[in-house]
Amino acid sequence: MSQLSGAPLLVGAVAYTPNVVPIWEGIRDYFDTPDTAMDFVLFSNYGRLVDALRAGMIDIAWNTNLAYARSVLQTDGHVRALAMRDTDAAFSTVFVAAAGSGWSGPGDIGSRRLALGSADSAHAAILPLHYLRAAGIDVEHMQLKRFDSDIGKHGDTGRSELDAIDAVLAGDADVAAIGITVWENIGRGDLMPGTLEQVWQTEKYSHCMFTALDTLPESVSAPWVAKLLAMDWEVPAHRRILELEGLTRWVEPHLDGYTGLFEAIAQQGVDSRW
Amino acid sequence: MVVMALMRIVEQLAEGDTAQFAVASASELELVRRWCAKTGNTVVSTMMVEQDAGHVTVGRGRPRDPATMIPADRMPGARLWLYTNFHCNLACDYCCVASSPKTDPRLLGIETIETLVVEAAAWGVRELYLTGGEPFLLPDIDAIVRACVGQLPTTLLTNGMLFRGLGLRKLRAMPREGFALQISVDSSTAEVHDSHRGAGSWKRALAGIRVALDEGFTVRVAATISAHDDPALDELHALFDGLGIPRADQVIRPIALQGVADEGVTFSRESLIPEVTVTAEGIYWHPVAALDADALVSRQILPLAPSLDLVSDLFAKQWSSMTAASAMFACA
Repeated sequence: MSQLSGAPLLVGAVAYTPNVVPIWEGIRDYFDTPDTAMDFVLFSNYGRLVDALRAGMIDIAWNTNLAYARSVLQTDGHVRALAMRDTDAAFSTVFVAAAGSGWSGPGDIGSRRLALGSADSAHAAILPLHYLRAAGIDVEHMQLKRFDSDIGKHGDTGRSELDAIDAVLAGDADVAAIGITVWENIGRGDLMPGTLEQVWQTEKYSHCMFTALDTLPESVSAPWVAKLLAMDWEVPAHRRILELEGLTRWVEPHLDGYTGLFEAIAQQGVDSRW
Repeated sequence: MVVMALMRIVEQLAEGDTAQFAVASASELELVRRWCAKTGNTVVSTMMVEQDAGHVTVGRGRPRDPATMIPADRMPGARLWLYTNFHCNLACDYCCVASSPKTDPRLLGIETIETLVVEAAAWGVRELYLTGGEPFLLPDIDAIVRACVGQLPTTLLTNGMLFRGLGLRKLRAMPREGFALQISVDSSTAEVHDSHRGAGSWKRALAGIRVALDEGFTVRVAATISAHDDPALDELHALFDGLGIPRADQVIRPIALQGVADEGVTFSRESLIPEVTVTAEGIYWHPVAALDADALVSRQILPLAPSLDLVSDLFAKQWSSMTAASAMFACA
């Protein structure tokens, strides 16, 4: 349990938008039974969030995939994955180019100028290179244009992906690597008619994860996870929170989806503080 | 690229906060609506300066309490419009209530107006708007204005062409405090203005503005813009600036497809933030639709409170609808 003896379960998250406050206030209010009562604390970056989890300042961290991997690596695996969004279990990176390019597949990306998002964004920088490399592309010799905005927030703000798209639209890059959620939010290009088209999409991988140290008693975490998984899209008060947080239901962890990220971290020598 | 702007700005707003975006075409406005529907955000209102171009206000998240998203002075019930009469010395080709010298006057009457404004103030109405027709055709318009101003701040919409002789005497008998005149000028040029409102009307409207200002009245100006004309907004603002009208008192809106208009923006009751409107024939949802049977709220004018309550209730239901997006149409 956190060092705040007698206090409710303490969940940590990163404040990447003002909306994080109503989201977590809504989640806190939802956990209204004595055995699941919780409070939350917001951090400015994922490095501090993982530090706080390791130090026992918080009981559960709402981690990105990179922060989850860091939690595993920095504790020698002494963490437990608790739950994730349905959207986290089927995340992917989409490579987009200007409409009419006619390009298709990783072979058409390797020889182009590739715009990447924040260097600490797994979906917009780390995994795009990993999956291109896995597809046989010599990524060491690719022309990369990086948009390292909002470092520390692991790409949560989405700003760097929009910068990458803008680079393609301006002709400063040929292809942009963006997360599937950004691609979905522009209607897979339909809401920007005649501007963008998909070149390639990676396999599915896992994204965010509620993470606890393995010292958190099961008797504490289990009721909380059960209550979390019971949030219901059909209940308006629940739906408001689910929609703001970008999911339709919470699901059990899909740990297989992190294999590629662990490989990428090792291959790319990703900074251990990110 | 309005969707990129939406992605950058709206995603960073706190739930319930709003941001305004320029849209340059009907298709762009439709893209905004589709993006909001897809991403769980809300088109709070649209303010179209021309038929297809203007601004759209987008709120983060699904609709909440409208009082947090609509200015207090535009909430349903904040404004009460009174059509004092329907006849007019002009016959504008876009008039939303088809007024002309031949139109049946359909007078509301000072006694009814006196009762209405007392009830309105008691209910919580904040402002009164008198319109027509041309209210200065009424011999007792000065008494009507005094009765209204005695209850609530009042604005009178006029073409400003009758401030001579008896009209000037009626004007001078109106209060300066708590009262404003809103005078129609549709273009920076007489040619465009007169093509819709009649020969010589631009010159006389400008003269009327100067008379009203010289008499110490607060004067607002309102321009109704046809999609077929060059709006020349910079020139129009320059004209109004030159007259000494503050920008906040310069209202510019498109023609509404109502009355005798053969062009203009279309509305439905479900898409308009209501501004309760009383005519001799009944109570309507909005002054731009005072001939529209679909916008009729009640044939019973008095008592007023039940209709104000009804409109508020209907709007609350409309607002809570997941897909509803209401537009403010600026008559004033």
